[in-house]
Amino acid sequence: MAEGGPKPSSSVKLVLLGEAAVGKSSLVLRFVNDDFQENREPTIGAAFLTQKCNLPSRTIKFEIWDTAGQERFASLAPMYYRNAQSALVVYDLTKASSLAKAKHWVAELQRQASPGIVIALVGNKLDLTNQSTGLESSMGGLSLSAAASDGDEEEEEEGDARQITTAEAKSYADEEGLLFFETSAKTGHNVQEVFTAIANAIPESTLKTRGGPGSGRTGGGAAGDTFGGSGGVNLSAVGETNKDGCAC
Amino acid sequence: MLSLSSLISKASSLIDPNILPPSLLNQVNGSTNDGQTPAVLFRSNFRLPDSESPLAVIPCELSLPTGEHYFGRLHLSESFLCFSSSAPSSVSGTSSSSSSAAGPPSCGFTLPLVAIRRVERLHSRSYLFALAVTTWHNDQKLTLQFNSLRSTCEKFCEALKKNLRSQMSEMKNLRMLVGSCYSEWLVTGGKSKDGAKEEPDAGLGMVWRYPGDAKKLRDRSKMRLWAEYLRENGRNITLIRQPTFHKLIRVGLPNRLRGEVWELTSGSLYRRLFNPTLYTDTLTEFSGRHSLSIDEIEKDLNRSLPEYPGFQSEEGIGRLRRVLSAYSWKNPDVGYCQAMNIVVAALLIYMSETQAFFLLSTLCDRLVPGYYSQTMYGTLLDQRVFESLVEKTMPILWEHLVKSDVQLSVVSLPWFLSLFINSMPLVFAFRVLDVFFLEGPKVLFQVGLAILRINGEELLDVTDDGAFISCLKNYFLRLDESAHPRSDNEKLRAVTRFQELMVVAFREFSGITEQTITDQRTKHKDSVLSSIESFAKRTTLRNLGPESKRLSTNDLGYIYDRFYKVLYERQERLVAIELEKERLNEKKIMSSARSIGEKSINEKGRIGLGPSSQLMDYDYFREFLAGVAKWAIADSPSQLFSPGLGGSLDPQWGGNGRKKSINLSPWGDNAEPADHEFMQRLFRRWDTDYRSGLSLQDVVAGLAGIKGKKDIMESISYFFELYDDDGDGRVDREGILRISEALLFITRRGWETPPNIGDQNRNGEGKGGTDPFLGSVSGFIRRCFEYADPDQQGKQEEVSTGVEGMDELVDLLDLASDDEDGESVKSPVKEKGAIKGKEKEKDEDTEEKNSLDIDPNTRPSAMSANIALDPANPLHITLPTFRMIVLADEVLEYFFETGFADSIVLSTDGSKTPSGRNISAGASAFGNLGGGGIAGAKGLRGVLDNIVNDGMRVAQEVRRRMDEAQKELERNAVPGKYKEDEEEEGDAKSIMEGDRDLLKGAEASVVDEAAKLAIKTGLPEDGEASGTLLGSPTSSLATTHVGEELRTPTTPMPTRVEFEMDK
Ligand SMILES: Nc1nc2c(ncn2[C@@H]2O[C@H](COP(=O)(O)OP(=O)(O)OP(=O)(O)O)[C@@H](O)[C@H]2O)c(=O)[nH]1
Ligand SMILES: [Mg+2]
Repeated sequence: MAEGGPKPSSSVKLVLLGEAAVGKSSLVLRFVNDDFQENREPTIGAAFLTQKCNLPSRTIKFEIWDTAGQERFASLAPMYYRNAQSALVVYDLTKASSLAKAKHWVAELQRQASPGIVIALVGNKLDLTNQSTGLESSMGGLSLSAAASDGDEEEEEEGDARQITTAEAKSYADEEGLLFFETSAKTGHNVQEVFTAIANAIPESTLKTRGGPGSGRTGGGAAGDTFGGSGGVNLSAVGETNKDGCAC
Repeated sequence: MLSLSSLISKASSLIDPNILPPSLLNQVNGSTNDGQTPAVLFRSNFRLPDSESPLAVIPCELSLPTGEHYFGRLHLSESFLCFSSSAPSSVSGTSSSSSSAAGPPSCGFTLPLVAIRRVERLHSRSYLFALAVTTWHNDQKLTLQFNSLRSTCEKFCEALKKNLRSQMSEMKNLRMLVGSCYSEWLVTGGKSKDGAKEEPDAGLGMVWRYPGDAKKLRDRSKMRLWAEYLRENGRNITLIRQPTFHKLIRVGLPNRLRGEVWELTSGSLYRRLFNPTLYTDTLTEFSGRHSLSIDEIEKDLNRSLPEYPGFQSEEGIGRLRRVLSAYSWKNPDVGYCQAMNIVVAALLIYMSETQAFFLLSTLCDRLVPGYYSQTMYGTLLDQRVFESLVEKTMPILWEHLVKSDVQLSVVSLPWFLSLFINSMPLVFAFRVLDVFFLEGPKVLFQVGLAILRINGEELLDVTDDGAFISCLKNYFLRLDESAHPRSDNEKLRAVTRFQELMVVAFREFSGITEQTITDQRTKHKDSVLSSIESFAKRTTLRNLGPESKRLSTNDLGYIYDRFYKVLYERQERLVAIELEKERLNEKKIMSSARSIGEKSINEKGRIGLGPSSQLMDYDYFREFLAGVAKWAIADSPSQLFSPGLGGSLDPQWGGNGRKKSINLSPWGDNAEPADHEFMQRLFRRWDTDYRSGLSLQDVVAGLAGIKGKKDIMESISYFFELYDDDGDGRVDREGILRISEALLFITRRGWETPPNIGDQNRNGEGKGGTDPFLGSVSGFIRRCFEYADPDQQGKQEEVSTGVEGMDELVDLLDLASDDEDGESVKSPVKEKGAIKGKEKEKDEDTEEKNSLDIDPNTRPSAMSANIALDPANPLHITLPTFRMIVLADEVLEYFFETGFADSIVLSTDGSKTPSGRNISAGASAFGNLGGGGIAGAKGLRGVLDNIVNDGMRVAQEVRRRMDEAQKELERNAVPGKYKEDEEEEGDAKSIMEGDRDLLKGAEASVVDEAAKLAIKTGLPEDGEASGTLLGSPTSSLATTHVGEELRTPTTPMPTRVEFEMDK
């Protein structure tokens, strides 16, 4: 890859939030293992995985917390988004209620998580819409498929199960300053892109502060942590400021 | 004090301290701080249903047919005979201490009385008292030799006899249960007359194989050992637990017996015994119904142990669906929580649906309380407990984790939540479950600690969550490997890591007892609940919808707190009153409370414990309002009579209820709320979903509608709409009167009068605070009628109802009333009777306008001179008219500008309005004043209160006026005017005479008598007569004079409302 020695590498904590069964675990599985499973067990509490993301200038090692989506698990979430530098808030394109839930999560994160957290809004299950090729250009012609309420069942059919238009979600994301993607964990469409975009959006300064508690870390990660070519700017422990969000 | 302690002991026998907040716990348990009452301890020791209580206990020696002898104690409850040995024998691994705290006693039984065939008194040496007990499986006879005073023994036997007899009826259930037990089939080979004819359902494993290699698990040998044990020591319902029993479980249960032994050791078998059809009944009852839980369940059905072939089949999925749905219906507070699918799926491999259903409910209620609840407080609590145990037992590791900022619960939470089923390979998880069901939740902690201990060294090298997780993940994958692969000792080499885990868990951590867990839970409960609650509050407030934006964050927080305070305090209070009632009636709920849904009272009292009901009904709403608005506090608190207690009042509560230390008022120590028609309207207006209950969101939106108004126009419209029942933009005559009544009601205790309007003193500080308001209101009424529009033909309003009080009020107050008032009502009011009839049938709570009830043809064609005041000539005002009238009066204008909104005080930071505390102080001061003498004339009374500071003088003044008015009425009465209504009129009159007599008596007794009468007559059915009766004090006022023009028949409903308010 990059010539002239190893690229700087740093760890980034990422948390996935969103309603149950929108495909959070599936997105992670696609990103980490490039795999998809039809029947995934619901996540209990949270799952933890890691995956590297290579940027031209550096390597980001994602420490991914994949949380449980059911409403009542919400009070556990602070435990997982604590110190997170980035978040993937996922909704299901074919389920109107899931965007509302996603908005709740965004609000929660904006108020309770680390300041400066990078949030990406992700509409998953794009393959269930007739736009599964991912042609963003057709956006304008989208029908407001309010009638497609039971879309889940007819996923193989040509009928468009989409319940949330790209425009609607996009405008919300713009308002709140979120990254925005429509993905399919099943086909893999746009999945890598989401993570790459997040990696790119993480400010360098945050990268170094992540090490606060982990600065004593052994092994290769430590080198990346201390690299900080950009000079000793702003070491303020961003992640440390918001402990009260923790439910435990 | 006496009654307090008795209530508490009663309550505590019904309440499981494990799931009570500590604050309450301390009250319940008084000095003991271990959180365990004898009854609770008793039930948990013997795994008994909640309906059981310890009735008698006696020291005794048990002799078994196999020759063993055990000393211990014999307990009797309503439907069980239980024994536990006191001297532990040589069971390895359990620490020796009292039977309750440490591991299971070495010998014991939990024998349902119905499973006892026969009890004989043994002839023996005279100083001994012994019984021979023959159980259902009559191949065994137990000998019980009592070691106690003869009289005690005899008493015990008496009680036993009595309870045995009462349990006879359960025989059918017993047969059913025994027939479904695999042990029965195993021992009898399916040939016994009571046994099953075909192999009982022992789970999906019978079809799709049980996990693991049966040979490696030595399933056959285990089965043989069990068969032997069961033959000698009884089975299923009659089983006796000897030390071998525990050992057999420790080495792992055989597949086909696993489900049944889980049932037996957890006690869910007994729930099934007494509720043989509950599961199927539930399925039938709720078949085809939908709920949020059902949706959530459907989502996860395909996602439950997908690697097990049984759950890729319709059969397996169907079973899972049915068990989870049935439970969600039976316990809607829990509903469905992810992880339950995995646990139930695991259970279903070894047991039938019915068995799994009851075991699930035992899990949720007793073994892992609160794990799956809405807030999952049990899960979080046990995580906290686990952390503190790690800190205690492995301080170095703990310190390391803290330093590395690794959060323990990120790994341990799934262990507990899915009972290790999700974390370990299934075969091993089931081994943990075997012990878990036998010994209780402490097992989860012991195993968890052992995992950390065994991996301690590696974990000390770990510096982040990720490494921490993968280290343990790795460990779980290698549980079947040798723990000592390099050992020279062949035996040691044969020990698997799993075996090592079990040994470490139960030997090294044998000090972790049930008591440890209980204590720790008690210790941490409050802080865990608090953090859940602050999270919940934060989230809820953020999601209250757009309306909420009109209120300040402080106000929202205040509303939130107040909402739940009222909700939970009131629920608790009602339960306490219920309990006290029960106690007084000496009606013990014996075996009737067996259904598993009955536990609901335990789960209330705190947001953190999960929602029970999240809706406020009207009474809750009143209590809520009384805390934020002084006008919502009742003028004369009822003392004798509290609706919550029904008619059956114990004399000792008479008079002043405060004498007893428990406040049995349904309002607790709070001021009793008023009950005014205006409040009912508010309630209905806020109840946007027509649920007869307000959610927090409703309340917030409702308050935002009043307090969040930006300008006076909005505020005026709001008020107008409250009275525009059919939303047609008009308010009829009745509505106008009701509006004025409401205005007086709201301001009857003074309000923030504008600085420079009128020369009166402000806000009740001196006197006359509302005087200008009085004038304004009467002016308001006059103007309303002046500017009102007549209704169109065909668009007619119902004849106004129940406003006599108002009419009078108006007249009393309106010194400028025109003379013509006196004679205006000339037209016959033919339709009255008909309407009355209809009214009677109407639900008293609905107040819809049935404008079509009145046949237009019966209307008089000729209008009388003063249309405005003729009840037969419907009229209305529109919003613009209303606005104009309000704005024409600067006092009213000010009221709508700020007064109304300010009359509700939310967060206490507002300095210009009285705080909540002041309100209640004011209320009690007020309570001393009137003494309830002038029932009905609340608006007026409030006014007078400010003028005259002496309650008696107020009363006299009012009475004088009423008498005068009555005379006036009699003078003015025009014979024949109400021809059609003669009877009714007569009735009303005669009753009023009686009322006047009453009024002459002591002021207080008037109210009380009226109250009693009201109850006797039965409110809604009695139509006008009782309406008049109930409203008597008011009506006499009302009837006073002039009122005739406006006087219209009273419907029962509103009158009753007034009455209630004044009682
Ligand atoms: N068609 C389609 N199905 C998907 C996609 N992503 C996930 N699914 C399916 O949706 C279901 C839920 O996926 P999960 O990844 O387990 O969802 P989750 O958000 O992790 O759910 P919880 O852990 O319960 O919060 C599974 O049955 C997946 O197969 C997708 O992109 N397209
Ligand atoms: Mg998941």
